[in-house]
Amino acid sequence: MFTFFSPALVLLLQEANAGRLATVWQDAQHPGLSKFLTIGALLFIIGVAGVLTRRNIIVIFMSIELILNAANLNFIAMSRYLQDTGNVNAAAGQVFAVFVIVVAAAEAAIGLGIVIALYRNKETILIDEIDILKW
Amino acid sequence: MILSGWESVFFWVFSIAAIFAGLLTVMARNTIHSALFLISSLVSVAALFILLHAEFIAGVQILVYVGGVMVLFLFVIMLVNVGSEERGAEEIFNRPRQVTVSVIFCALLVAGLIAAVNEGYKGFLRRDGSRIDSAAADAETRNQSLEKSATGSSRITNDTGRLGGVLYRFGSLPFEIASVLLLVAIVGSVMLARTLKQEAAVDDLDPDVLRKEAAADPELAEVQTETAV
Repeated sequence: MFTFFSPALVLLLQEANAGRLATVWQDAQHPGLSKFLTIGALLFIIGVAGVLTRRNIIVIFMSIELILNAANLNFIAMSRYLQDTGNVNAAAGQVFAVFVIVVAAAEAAIGLGIVIALYRNKETILIDEIDILKW
Repeated sequence: MILSGWESVFFWVFSIAAIFAGLLTVMARNTIHSALFLISSLVSVAALFILLHAEFIAGVQILVYVGGVMVLFLFVIMLVNVGSEERGAEEIFNRPRQVTVSVIFCALLVAGLIAAVNEGYKGFLRRDGSRIDSAAADAETRNQSLEKSATGSSRITNDTGRLGGVLYRFGSLPFEIASVLLLVAIVGSVMLARTLKQEAAVDDLDPDVLRKEAAADPELAEVQTETAV
């Protein structure tokens, strides 16, 4: 058990010695732009993983919603950062987020319509069983 | 936009909730559970929007995503049969090799993105580092000049008003285009989701296909004769 965790422990000690752990803690207490962007990146990756690994087309659509939502988070965080550093008219990021939400709604409506039409003909929603271009 | 105090506590709570709910969305076996986890992820992200002073976007997120899109998802899940996946008869992930390659790809992507975010943020700090503190002080003085809310505990911000100004002053053409896009999406999804009978009723079916299908299904032929009369 100890041998398994020892590299992490050594790393932790090194960080503590360098006084970097205190900075990490300081950063965690005052999350700024980079934390929001990191959360956005993680949500994006989870969405990409869902699109690449799942078989159910509805879950794939939901993963796409996650991806779009992560993009929205990035837009809004950058918009807030630019406003706070003096660019008072930087509400464009929020306007973009509104349009992303509109396009996501349109995409979901069309995509789910296609899913229903497909299910009526093929009796399946697993993407690896839907593999023909022409009926 | 450096958060502090309770704001940072809420930041960590909601971001961890968003990420775990997102992970569970991808990993849940039951599709309904997936949808519900996605709803909680979207609500957590809406809370992060509120922390970023984007109250209007947070409200739109709750109303449109959670109230509209996710309800649509739940209806479609109930219309199609996902039982075999739920009972464990079907594998929910792709073949192991595909999953391995995807996970490796995603790990590389996440490492690259986080490194890029950190490097880019360093660049931002170099450029704006001197301005961030004074900008925070400016934002505080601007905040003090705002009207107090009824309870007196906070100020009424004008962020939503500013967003509306930008949206209708500089983004009015994209706004109109978006409304046309939504109309097209409504019409398109109604057209796509019609049954054969509904298509026959408005005489929108290839006659050869109709003859073939009507031979198997006498109801369809009845619909056709009704419309012919």
